[in-house]
Amino acid sequence: MKCDRGPGAAEPCRAATDAASDGVNGGKNAGRACWVAAGTLSGQKDLGPCAAGTDCLACDFLHLVKSEEGQAFQLLTLARRVHNPLEFQRTISKVESLMAIHERLRSHFDLDQTVGEITAEARKVTGAQRVLVLLLKGRPPALHGEFTLRGKRHKVRINVDENSAAGFAALHSQIVNLRDIYDVKPTGGVPVFCREFDEQSHCQTHSFLAISIRDSEERVIGVISAANAKKGHFSSDDEWFMEQYATEVALAVEKQKFVQQSVSALRLGAIDETIAGLSHCIKNIAQALRAGSHIIKRALRSNNVQDIKAAWEILDRHIERLADLSMDVLAYDPAVREHSTAGSLNKLVEHVVKLLREEARARSIQIKLRSGKKVDPAEFDPMGIYRCLVNLIGNALDACPFSQGEVRVSTKRTSKSEFCISVADNGQGMTIERKMAVFDLFETSRPRRGTGLGLPTVASIVNRHNGRVEIDSESGKGTTFRVFFREGVAVV
Amino acid sequence: MAPKAKIMVVEDDLDEAKLIKMVLEGEGYEAACAFNGVEALEKVGSEKPDLIVLDVMMPEMDGFEFCAELRSSPETEDIPVVLLTGVAKHIRDSKYPLDGVMRAEAQDYLEKPVKPEDLLAAISRLLT
Repeated sequence: MKCDRGPGAAEPCRAATDAASDGVNGGKNAGRACWVAAGTLSGQKDLGPCAAGTDCLACDFLHLVKSEEGQAFQLLTLARRVHNPLEFQRTISKVESLMAIHERLRSHFDLDQTVGEITAEARKVTGAQRVLVLLLKGRPPALHGEFTLRGKRHKVRINVDENSAAGFAALHSQIVNLRDIYDVKPTGGVPVFCREFDEQSHCQTHSFLAISIRDSEERVIGVISAANAKKGHFSSDDEWFMEQYATEVALAVEKQKFVQQSVSALRLGAIDETIAGLSHCIKNIAQALRAGSHIIKRALRSNNVQDIKAAWEILDRHIERLADLSMDVLAYDPAVREHSTAGSLNKLVEHVVKLLREEARARSIQIKLRSGKKVDPAEFDPMGIYRCLVNLIGNALDACPFSQGEVRVSTKRTSKSEFCISVADNGQGMTIERKMAVFDLFETSRPRRGTGLGLPTVASIVNRHNGRVEIDSESGKGTTFRVFFREGVAVV
Repeated sequence: MAPKAKIMVVEDDLDEAKLIKMVLEGEGYEAACAFNGVEALEKVGSEKPDLIVLDVMMPEMDGFEFCAELRSSPETEDIPVVLLTGVAKHIRDSKYPLDGVMRAEAQDYLEKPVKPEDLLAAISRLLT
């Protein structure tokens, strides 16, 4: 038993002494069902010591017993005194759906999606026509929510006052459970149903349940409401389940806040690092330009052609590096919106290969091009693909050995809406560490030429095309980059 | 005319090292290059430079470690060092607290992109 309060202890847990539960889930007394004898599923306000301040549905012990017992697992049978097997199964499935949400909540951080899942489950469990999560927003605060009806999003806004049941639940932080609302005449001091709610929620409400959503500091952050078009009322079981859903929504909201804070901190960190990396790269280029310019000026005065040539060669390289950096920064920036157009991908690839062939020849490297037959016409962002090709082929040339270097470029249609560009070299290949870091900003294996932005730029452009990159690299045999681009994707 | 001093340029970027070497040679200094801290320590013994121009960020052994090694040997502890760095200020402050420990180790500190005239002035100041 996790709480370590067995029989005979000074302050025994109710679960340890609950003889009526003996044998449930194979435990002594309620030893393997403590959540119903003393925990959060017991329905009691004064929970056992180990359950106070925690949620039994999230307890590892409950999940352990559940996995050990499998089909025979009993979750609620004692607490709810459910004897009808059909009703028991229904209750179990309701609680399991709640547990499934709880599980998902641990991995999700998309609030809208999570709230959507919670309202869908709550609707199933309570049988309500409309379940809404209304969160407090704005100044003065009002309850805001959304729902989807026949594929269309609708917004709901309710004031926080006593003129509506949801507003009343938020204002007084209490459960509002109304039945047959159109048959009952409103009296003072009790919550009334606001008919405007029906107009906004496209629902004809007969019974209505609203429960406040409170954060970990017990502040009301919203309301979860269920509206039923059928006559009748929401039961106390429905109230209990809706309270659990309210807790899950509160957890989701808090998680979202935490994720937003973390993302914001990460983003700031990334911006810092990006600026630092860019600044380092630019400073190095500027350093070369300043020193080169100084040498050339001095050499011109003394007519020292040898120094002019030597300095110019370096200067020229750094001017190219600066141009590459500027183009990569532009191409990397996700805010730069390019448009995909239909055209000949093969012609673009041939053009880039032709541009780089001279450089390759000067370094005794052969570039072989194989253009795929069914590639054209293709839909692509010409500027983006151009930058990808310049970076990939440029990297491949640098990776080639000093003699018998070979770069193979090919295009291929891989499906009706996807094409692939492959660039392979016969260099040394990459280590696993290098392979893992190729897309990191300002990681370069070519300190003299690289900007550290080339492959991150390729990745950014590929992402914008909903594409993917595959890397094959073998020590001593070279590296192949295969870049897959999806057509018909809005490039942003 | 008295022979000009011997300067060692420690810089991992080959182009930058070559250009600084040319700037120095243009002023009549004798210049040698080393491309990382380990190579530089080996060369310091044989070349016996009068001054070292040192980049901070280098693979294998960075400018800090190099300086500490240099100062730990009685034969090299007095060689003046001019530090060059392109590290962004906020990173430098957290990772490379130049204003503290390094100021005591290096005799001058110039931020990239350094004007060649400023580098030459710093060298001239330290050698006189």
